[in-house]
Amino acid sequence: MNMESWIIATDTARLGGILTAARQLGGHVTAAVVGPRSLADAVAAAGPDHVRWYACRDGAPPEAYASQVAEAVQKAAPRVVLSSTASAGRVLLGAAAAKLGAAVVSSVQALAVEGDIVKVSRAAAQGKVVETLDAAGTVACVFDGEDVAPAASQPATVEEVPAADPGDSLRVVETTPDSGGSAGLRTAARVVSAGLGIRAKGDLTLIQDLAAALGAEIACSLPVCDDMRWYGPERVVGRSHNQIAPDLYIAVGISGQPQHTVGVRDAKVVVVINNDPKAAFFKICDYGILGDLYKVVPALTAALKQVE
Amino acid sequence: MNPMKIVVVFKWLKNPEDARVGSDGSVDWRGAKMAVSDDDPAAIQVARNLAAAGGEIVGLTIGDGDAAWAAARGASSTVIVTDAQSNADAAATGAVLAAGVRRIGDADIVLIGDSAWDYGVSVALASQLGWTALAGVSSATMDGDRLRATRKFGDSTQAIEVARPAVLAVFASRAEQDAPGMKEVLAGRKKPQIKLTLADLGLTPADRVILRGTKLPDTTAARIIDGADPAAAAAQMVTALRAEGVL
Repeated sequence: MNMESWIIATDTARLGGILTAARQLGGHVTAAVVGPRSLADAVAAAGPDHVRWYACRDGAPPEAYASQVAEAVQKAAPRVVLSSTASAGRVLLGAAAAKLGAAVVSSVQALAVEGDIVKVSRAAAQGKVVETLDAAGTVACVFDGEDVAPAASQPATVEEVPAADPGDSLRVVETTPDSGGSAGLRTAARVVSAGLGIRAKGDLTLIQDLAAALGAEIACSLPVCDDMRWYGPERVVGRSHNQIAPDLYIAVGISGQPQHTVGVRDAKVVVVINNDPKAAFFKICDYGILGDLYKVVPALTAALKQVE
Repeated sequence: MNPMKIVVVFKWLKNPEDARVGSDGSVDWRGAKMAVSDDDPAAIQVARNLAAAGGEIVGLTIGDGDAAWAAARGASSTVIVTDAQSNADAAATGAVLAAGVRRIGDADIVLIGDSAWDYGVSVALASQLGWTALAGVSSATMDGDRLRATRKFGDSTQAIEVARPAVLAVFASRAEQDAPGMKEVLAGRKKPQIKLTLADLGLTPADRVILRGTKLPDTTAARIIDGADPAAAAAQMVTALRAEGVL
């Protein structure tokens, strides 16, 4: 029976996790890579069986190749197609799914095979539960599970596909690099982040002292930047700004809106300090201190200074 | 140029916050209504900005819940597919929404909140329409006759010219800023609503994936420390962080 899979990659987000899920099917794994050669090589190194590389013409975003990638997927007729949650990859995945007449399942964490059924595990109800779904036919998966280091294997050969002219329905007219790098936030091992629980700009010394005691970078939630203008956008953590993966993230006075928390999904340890027991962040952190940040933060700073 | 017709798709999923999870991992969705996601206000805000240059906004939604939500925010009318349910198969939801967009007809731009509640629906909708699509869009403007969308791409922000008709799936960067007042809400309720069924759209729901069960995730719950005694809480916290190996 057909247990072949295609991975559609426009970046390397969660690639190890995606590949691990695809390998559970036991069939041939093809990766369709849309982007620069360096991306194709990075995907090949993660160890699919085969890489088909579509080089993007100057000014054409990956989505401009949606129909030709979808046609290639349709021709190969795999059982499962996977992408990450990356915006471009999802558009390509959707196009492939439509051509295949496949079901589309999001928040996928793992795959398994039982007889002729593909069993899809996916997060539901905001991650409060894991659903098991049976797919008797073709299924397209938006993978959002744990990333894992790909098992060491021979890099796959990269086959450059002679891409057809993508047309001019999508044209990149301007690319502006984000200013995020300057704060060192993206690579910081420890980050202390300020939210609207802080009442006045002068009180940011609490955050600065805690960050100094930890050797941490300072970040903030979007309103602290946009509404209060206490910090610039280069320090904002969230889906629209910086997505970071420090060893330690301490959120001070941040309620935990999803737009913010998705930015620290890959942090190793998340600590939340908040006086509101209903703060959404408490449900998805590793440790919480329920209390007045004006008392808790100085106490934590003092305790850390004692240790160091 | 003719005035544009902009369709805003809203309230297409049940609110996952309303799902009640039992200690055995079972889920009770009975109390959950269809709800707008955090990204729906951003989608309609983009629609309003685009329509300001000359255009009409039509709302499109499915199932129960507040059907007048878009009308309170500038939509002149709303189409509701009343018996459509949100589905584990995002392609099924996408098919209903695509049929709704076709029924509305002559749309130039479709905007949908690109909700993390289900990242499959926006792209399934786009692909079933067969239109040009971008996801993760933060804003869009009309530059003369041309649609220009902005989205984050890796460590950059890209401005992309998009041929119409197009589907733009919009990311909110923040909570809704100027929610309508009572006056707008009441006015919204008086605007035309067109109620359709799946049968009207010639659709029969097909279950291509079948839910076999639910369980609790393997992750452990957060350890919450009482901060009433700040010094004791801080000491506990430091001990825990040392044990985690992050200090």
